[in-house]
Amino acid sequence: MNEPRDARSAEKQYILRWSTADGTAIQSSFSSLAAAFRGLLQHETACLGDSPSTRLPPWEIACQLPGRVAPPRARPRYVYHVNARASGDGGDGSEESPWWGLATAVEQLIRLDQAGQVNLRAGQTARLVHREVFTATSVERWKKVKEKIASLVFMVMALVLIVPMAAILSYLLVQAWPALSLAFIMENPHDYMTAGGIWAPLAGTFCLVLISLLIAAPVGVLAGVYLNEYARDNWFTRIINLAVVNLAGVPSIVHALFGVGAFVMFAGMGRSLLAASCTLAVMTLPVIITSTREALAAVPMAFREACWNLGASRWQTIRTLVLPNSISGILTGVILQVSRAAGETAPILFTGAVFFSTLPEHGLQAFFPYGLGDRCMALSMHLFTLSTQVRGVTPGLQYGTAVVLIGLVLAVNSLSIALRVCLRSRKKW
Amino acid sequence: MDCAIQFDNVSVTFGGKTALREITLAIPARQIFGIIGPANSGKTTILKCINRTLDFSATARMCGKVVVAGRDVASFRNVCDLRRNVGMVFPLPVGLPLSIYENVAYAPRRAGIHDRGELDDLVEHCLRQAMLWDEVCDRLGTLGTRLSGGQQQRLTLARALSHRPEILCLDEFSIAIDPVTTMKIEDVLLELKEKMTIVLVTNLVQQACRLADRTAFLSDSCLIEEGKTEKIFTNPANKLTQRYVNGEFG
Repeated sequence: MNEPRDARSAEKQYILRWSTADGTAIQSSFSSLAAAFRGLLQHETACLGDSPSTRLPPWEIACQLPGRVAPPRARPRYVYHVNARASGDGGDGSEESPWWGLATAVEQLIRLDQAGQVNLRAGQTARLVHREVFTATSVERWKKVKEKIASLVFMVMALVLIVPMAAILSYLLVQAWPALSLAFIMENPHDYMTAGGIWAPLAGTFCLVLISLLIAAPVGVLAGVYLNEYARDNWFTRIINLAVVNLAGVPSIVHALFGVGAFVMFAGMGRSLLAASCTLAVMTLPVIITSTREALAAVPMAFREACWNLGASRWQTIRTLVLPNSISGILTGVILQVSRAAGETAPILFTGAVFFSTLPEHGLQAFFPYGLGDRCMALSMHLFTLSTQVRGVTPGLQYGTAVVLIGLVLAVNSLSIALRVCLRSRKKW
Repeated sequence: MDCAIQFDNVSVTFGGKTALREITLAIPARQIFGIIGPANSGKTTILKCINRTLDFSATARMCGKVVVAGRDVASFRNVCDLRRNVGMVFPLPVGLPLSIYENVAYAPRRAGIHDRGELDDLVEHCLRQAMLWDEVCDRLGTLGTRLSGGQQQRLTLARALSHRPEILCLDEFSIAIDPVTTMKIEDVLLELKEKMTIVLVTNLVQQACRLADRTAFLSDSCLIEEGKTEKIFTNPANKLTQRYVNGEFG
């Protein structure tokens, strides 16, 4: 079997070489491949090093023609793996399954050579790499790299979110700083709105949000409970769902026109706080319904079925189990709509907001300036007016209004987050 | 024979897939009735027919008649009345997100018992019957969902007993409970059959053999054989039954 495969193969030399832990290169020459493999065993103690912690080098067998020293090639033709410190009989020499022990490796290599599966031409090398148990294969190393890349990309995207937020906030704060004071909040605008504070629009926004919430929250939450807990899946429910989804997508200016038609004119409310609040309520309703449904759907079905099995009615189940466990989600949805209602301008533009209204400056009347039938000022509207409709307004006044508006929204949002965290910490399953 | 539950030619399909095929079966009162059979043979569906839990899945269709205590289950306008009289334990334990005490007191409260002393007695009694009292008596206020799997399963059992049902349906009740406790609960079940009808679905053939007075063998949605437990286990009429109880298939 070891006969020369071609005329020149008899002249071939096989060089076994590696460098030990202390850096000395070991090299010995053999006339056949099998002899070179056996050479590994002769050097076994030198191969394995002194202590189990030494890193073992790859052992290389290079094929050369006499007199011509081939430069070591970067890429060996064959790579086999061995767990040199193990002993026994196993493995197939691959990266995933290294041979157990040098003796096994040599035995298997000689067998491969006899089967003609190791064909080294001059200048080519075969490499035997030591591989401990539980070291990462190339697939696993690549997996780890991909994992790093993925988490990095996601993190960068998350950070990108923060940048505009921080930029807007800091810019507004710097611009508004000279104007901000308690008096700015508590005073009404005067001198054709070029001086004074923002109390009238602030109070208007409070009233609008409060009344719209009083209308939208009960309707939205109860409708959400019906849709998620009682309604069966039929064409009627599907139509309601479709309506809810579409209503959520209606632009706010269309809501405003609807408000004019339905509340201001048809219902005879006139342009008033009530009509504007109703319009805001219609606008916030679909999102309240959707978030309520999502909060309810997060309560596992198994809990409901367990209760029904005990003879509890649907309402008993909802009251004792479903609502207590979904209230955090429902409240979060409702509160987030507060900040949305506070920020919207379009729906109140035609239905109840005014550029300016003269309000009492002193006494209890100054704190509750609006009745349900009055027109009112609102922060978002006021900001629009100051920026575009009135001449001679100092930038401090404009930016101050913007800061109060955004501060209001942020405060409400943080309240909702705090509430959520607080209620979630009592999560029961 | 006094029948607690009567199945009359009952078939059930789930969205076109047959789960039960023309089952006719009489379950006698004040006995333990075992139901055995390989996986997917319709054992659990039988239980779901009894308390109309089948209604929960939108795709389920039932034809035939199930009579419980002399009344057709389909005739209950308020299905809560039916379910109040049927205790149900499913293999996956569900601890409600309430305290252990409230878990067991849930059904009695919903049924209108509010007297604290009466509830206390009832909760202790049910937890003792389910062999859970000794482990939880000093922490009745902790959440039921914090218990271990086996404990939750016993909690489910205690809950099923808490509304003093006429019929107790057990579906693999011992799947997560250790053998020693299982034996103790089995003793309790043997006592309980004086007071209620117990339907026991089990994959442990030996459990059916130990407990059941009568046993039914289901395979592939069909009722293969039903009879006295001794007969089913020693001298079954059907070859398939014999092979199953001897552990040759299934």
